Amino acid sequence: MAFVLTFLLRRLAQGVIVVFLVSFLIFTLLRLIPGDPVRMMLGTNVSEVTLERKAKELGLRDPIPVQYANYLYNFIQGDLGQSYLLGESGGAAPTAQNKQGGQISAEAEIARDAESKTTRASVFKLIGDGLPYTLQLAGLGLLFTFMVALPLGISGGLKPEKWQARLAFFTGSLLISLPNFWLALVLILLISSNANLLPSIGYKGFAYTLLPAIVLAVELVPVIIRGLSVSIASSTQQGFVDGGIVRGLPWSRIVWRHVIRNASIPMLNMFGVQIGGLLLGGVFVTEYIFDYPGVGKLTIQAVLQRDFPIIQGVAILAAGVLVLVNILVDLVATYIDRRLKY
Amino acid sequence: MTEPILQVRNICVDLVRPGQTRPVLRDISFDLVERQALGIIGESGSGKTVLSRIVIGAVNPPLKVTKGEVLYRGRDLLAMDRTEIQRLRGREFGYIGNNPGSALDPTVPVGQQIVEKLRSVEPGISRDEAVRRILALMGAVRLPRPEARFHEFPFQYSGGMMQRALIVDALVTNPAFLIADNVTQPLDVTIAAQIIRLMHELRKDFRTAVIFVSSSLAVVREIADDIIVLNEGEIVERSTPERIISAPGHDYSKRLIERIPRIWTTEAKQAPRPVDTQKAMLRVDDVYKTYRVADPNKFFGHNKVEAVRGVSFEVMAGENFGIVGESGCGKSTLSRLLSWVEEPDRGTIYFEDADIAKMNRRKLLGLRCRFQLLLQDPYNAMPPHMPVGRTIAEPLYIHGTHNRKEVRERVLAVMNEVGLPSSLYENLLVGLSAGQRQRINLARALVLEPHLLILDETLSALDQVEQSRLLEIFERLQAQHGFTYIFISHDLAMVRRACTRIAVMYLGKIVELADNQTVFFNPGHPYTKALLSAVPTIEPRRYDAKECLLEGEPPSPINIPSGCSFKPRCPLAVERCWAEEPALLDRKAGGHSACIWANASEAELRDAAVAARLRRESAADPTPDAVALRA
Amino acid sequence: MAAETASADIPARAMRGETMTRRMFRQARSMRGFQIGLGIFLVLLLAAVVLPEATSLSVTKISVKERFLPPFFLEGGSLAHLAGTDQLGRDLLMRSLIGLRNALGISAASVILMFVLGAGLGIISGYWGRWVDTILMRFTDAQLSVPLIVLAITILGVTRPNFGTIIAVLVLSGWPIYARVARSVTLAERQREYVRGAKILGASDIRVMLVMIAPNVLPPIAFVAVLDVARMMIFEALFGFIGIGVQPPTPTFGNIIADGTKYIVNYWWIPTMPGLLLIVALLSINMMGSALERARNKIFAGI
Repeated sequence: MAFVLTFLLRRLAQGVIVVFLVSFLIFTLLRLIPGDPVRMMLGTNVSEVTLERKAKELGLRDPIPVQYANYLYNFIQGDLGQSYLLGESGGAAPTAQNKQGGQISAEAEIARDAESKTTRASVFKLIGDGLPYTLQLAGLGLLFTFMVALPLGISGGLKPEKWQARLAFFTGSLLISLPNFWLALVLILLISSNANLLPSIGYKGFAYTLLPAIVLAVELVPVIIRGLSVSIASSTQQGFVDGGIVRGLPWSRIVWRHVIRNASIPMLNMFGVQIGGLLLGGVFVTEYIFDYPGVGKLTIQAVLQRDFPIIQGVAILAAGVLVLVNILVDLVATYIDRRLKY
Repeated sequence: MTEPILQVRNICVDLVRPGQTRPVLRDISFDLVERQALGIIGESGSGKTVLSRIVIGAVNPPLKVTKGEVLYRGRDLLAMDRTEIQRLRGREFGYIGNNPGSALDPTVPVGQQIVEKLRSVEPGISRDEAVRRILALMGAVRLPRPEARFHEFPFQYSGGMMQRALIVDALVTNPAFLIADNVTQPLDVTIAAQIIRLMHELRKDFRTAVIFVSSSLAVVREIADDIIVLNEGEIVERSTPERIISAPGHDYSKRLIERIPRIWTTEAKQAPRPVDTQKAMLRVDDVYKTYRVADPNKFFGHNKVEAVRGVSFEVMAGENFGIVGESGCGKSTLSRLLSWVEEPDRGTIYFEDADIAKMNRRKLLGLRCRFQLLLQDPYNAMPPHMPVGRTIAEPLYIHGTHNRKEVRERVLAVMNEVGLPSSLYENLLVGLSAGQRQRINLARALVLEPHLLILDETLSALDQVEQSRLLEIFERLQAQHGFTYIFISHDLAMVRRACTRIAVMYLGKIVELADNQTVFFNPGHPYTKALLSAVPTIEPRRYDAKECLLEGEPPSPINIPSGCSFKPRCPLAVERCWAEEPALLDRKAGGHSACIWANASEAELRDAAVAARLRRESAADPTPDAVALRA
Repeated sequence: MAAETASADIPARAMRGETMTRRMFRQARSMRGFQIGLGIFLVLLLAAVVLPEATSLSVTKISVKERFLPPFFLEGGSLAHLAGTDQLGRDLLMRSLIGLRNALGISAASVILMFVLGAGLGIISGYWGRWVDTILMRFTDAQLSVPLIVLAITILGVTRPNFGTIIAVLVLSGWPIYARVARSVTLAERQREYVRGAKILGASDIRVMLVMIAPNVLPPIAFVAVLDVARMMIFEALFGFIGIGVQPPTPTFGNIIADGTKYIVNYWWIPTMPGLLLIVALLSINMMGSALERARNKIFAGI
């Protein structure tokens, strides 16, 4: 038990460092690159004076370290700041209005913000609103992924010279060659508009999650297949497989109890390092194309509009989630293979 | 004569690869009767491993049985289907391989895996019953603390302990016969001797017949009633061990026996030139090295692995100095320190009276020219992507020679000196034999014309013939150039042949330091005796393992307990040994020994042995540090 | 298994004098997938290099008369425009081929750069260890936890996207993986006897890294890097699609598809045909890459 505690503490400490590093890098990057968010907020036809006043008000003219310190101070108190552009009751956040597919134009929003300093939406709330949708999409996407990738990957790894391996190989090669945005377009065209089988753009119910989830799964399946077949195949090369045969264990038992158990370690590691990033990236693009009201769409729009607080908030959140996923993965891996403890 | 349980009839096996077919076994026939112990010996490549697998019906592509049958109680194993034979294996036949470390799933506790096997080959048995049977057997093979060991994972077992666990695994179903394929090969000599002794005893208690496969006749003869000699896939002779050794019936057996190194009936090595007793080539003064490893059970805690603990010795110009010991004794750490890849924590190493620690980069580089280390493994010691000539030339480039013609000439000269054909100059290492690789390795060291050569297990990977040839080269070079050698090895027979003075290491310390003859014929330390008694030979033994070698394994180098570190395995350990750790003492007989009995008389030793035995028998708990697992 | 190892020396001896890298190549070349992939790839490469120069079709000239021509296999299509024309009457095939040329250039350049940067830092980190290692690894941790797409649009959204900035963004996001892999292989390689041997001979750290470790560590990583060329092509196309790639009128897969999206319902081929060409190109690269990867695994682990 002492081990688990030490492990958790050590990893959490490392994780906190990583999250801070991410927040700092993103923060600095956002402020170093050209492009003035205030100009974006207020439009092109406001005077320099107004512009400067607004910038000062937002703290954008302070030195970067000061800005970062202020940000951190608020962050520790649980405040991720407010969106520069989105209002409390509108914008790209998935409000009732937005769920019906309508979108308020950014110009209108900026205009409103400029004339009256209405309450701007808190980043925390914006992310909170989008998160359930994103989780639903990611969960469904992973479910589809495993349904396809597990049987293909495992059988491909167990029979490296047979048709199973070839099937896994060609499926993987084909799927990894499909750009997600193009696939999304074609699916919208074929399944949504031509055949009218599934709805796509926007969100008006669970069915709207299906097509994006399929696109997401197509992106993940080849990665999992490849990882699985390699780790299963290398697991069957280990001494205990031959050892099991000469010791009289039934083949099925060797495979299900031992081969898969040992193959799960590299799989878990891959999941921690790669899938987290892939899944996030995939979710973002998919949401953007399908106009799906999750965190991904929020982020991409924020980036395009230079809405710094949202970008920072999402980056920190993403880093935090990935750090936690990795800790969990390592904990499970250590439970399965005790050697990792040493 | 009882009915044979296993009959192998005219078995032929081919190795089939695209474009080539090579016979592996040719027309093999033999019988195994109940309770018999049959030994099979053969060199590597003789087909003995394939043979050991064919008797349990496990032959996979690219191997193919072209002829013959394997009858187990009259039924042909090779004709059975997979499920049928899988049930026979494990229940009727036990198989113990030469790779104890990887035979079990590393992620599942050992006991659980044996239960799994027992219950899948004997489905009727309950879990509790299985556990009970396994624990009893674990006691019988003298696995210390069976209840705890049952729940430990394979990586927590040392090689010797794992081999015991696998014996449990094989015997738990009370099989009709047991195949032991080279079981002692990966083990240290004292551990191997314990395993052989155990198998000997188990044969008395179980009715199991044994097929004992090995490349060493000296090992096989300890256990077998009958020996088959295998050469290039054919049985050349079957006879009793005594007859094979005293009167081999086949030319091949004769040659095989001639090649086995002798320890007790050979002369001690003499230096080809007189040793300069005044000039110390290398002086090691009270050197320590401790490694820190993370302790998984403490917050930011560390364990100290005390690898080398206060080692001192001198190597004189022109002598052959040997350092022997089993794995974990610190000899490889010592070799890293001597070659200055790592620095000692404490203590000083002088090369030709200059302190290496005080040398600057340039001087150290110059020093590297004058002493060289040859590494253990001829397969990994050289970068795989370089051609032979470039490999040997590398040190010249490092030390600033860039004239291509000069480099080429020097490389070719040194290749000639170690007996490498110059045609290999452009070859890559892939496909060269171990002997050739080791010569390249040697050539690479010699190209800088060093004075001192450290040979770290350099000859271990070679067969006897190749070993002899290289030893001859070493001797010739020594006669020509006056080299000094340090041999670091676990192989006592090699050390007997090659070294004039020998240091014996145990758990990071030198426990005995004397000339060759004294170490072998009048050792002062009980560990030296135990080691010598454990070496398998075909000669009459000088020391009896029953008296010299106790059960138990060396303690872990982490947190070494106080007192003499050999005490838990020592047949002479008395009260004092728990209290004090003896230093290297001068012996009247010559040499030095780190034992309180270093200068004891015969009578005193006899008394001590009796006292120690009484002490052991009265101790209820077997000394716990004897079973401490290795990190 | 023991029988396997006993017999394994036969092919090794037969292949006397062949390095690991060459063995891997030979292994890969014998795979059907590699051959097909290479064939398709060479045809596409040739087409992308030669065709746009050789034909009279302009990729930027607008021709109202020839708008919305379908591909040749549909009614109304002609052999002059094999894949049809777009909303401005430009030949889709030629535009896609130029797009392919740009995509290949960008992704190959970025993979080479991220390989050099990542593997270089990885080897240094793995070999030296200590604080260099700690800092570098935390840095890769941090970077791996920001999705590439966020990083990319943040930078590309504000700078003027051109070949240089796109390559820079891809390299910036891709190097940590290479650093990780190179580091872990170096860690293992550093323990090998030959490294110790070289140090005993007196070789300096830099020499050991350059002469000993790099030639052993890099080829297997480079084999898998081929797969990344395809991955980077997808990203390049995605950037174009979102509008942060190389700007029109220079054709890229991304901006051709994005422009055509508006017409997808009536003139489906405008976004689809370029996509198909992209997929074929990706498929050919992925087939080669996977074959190389499998060859590597076979030689290394016997899988």
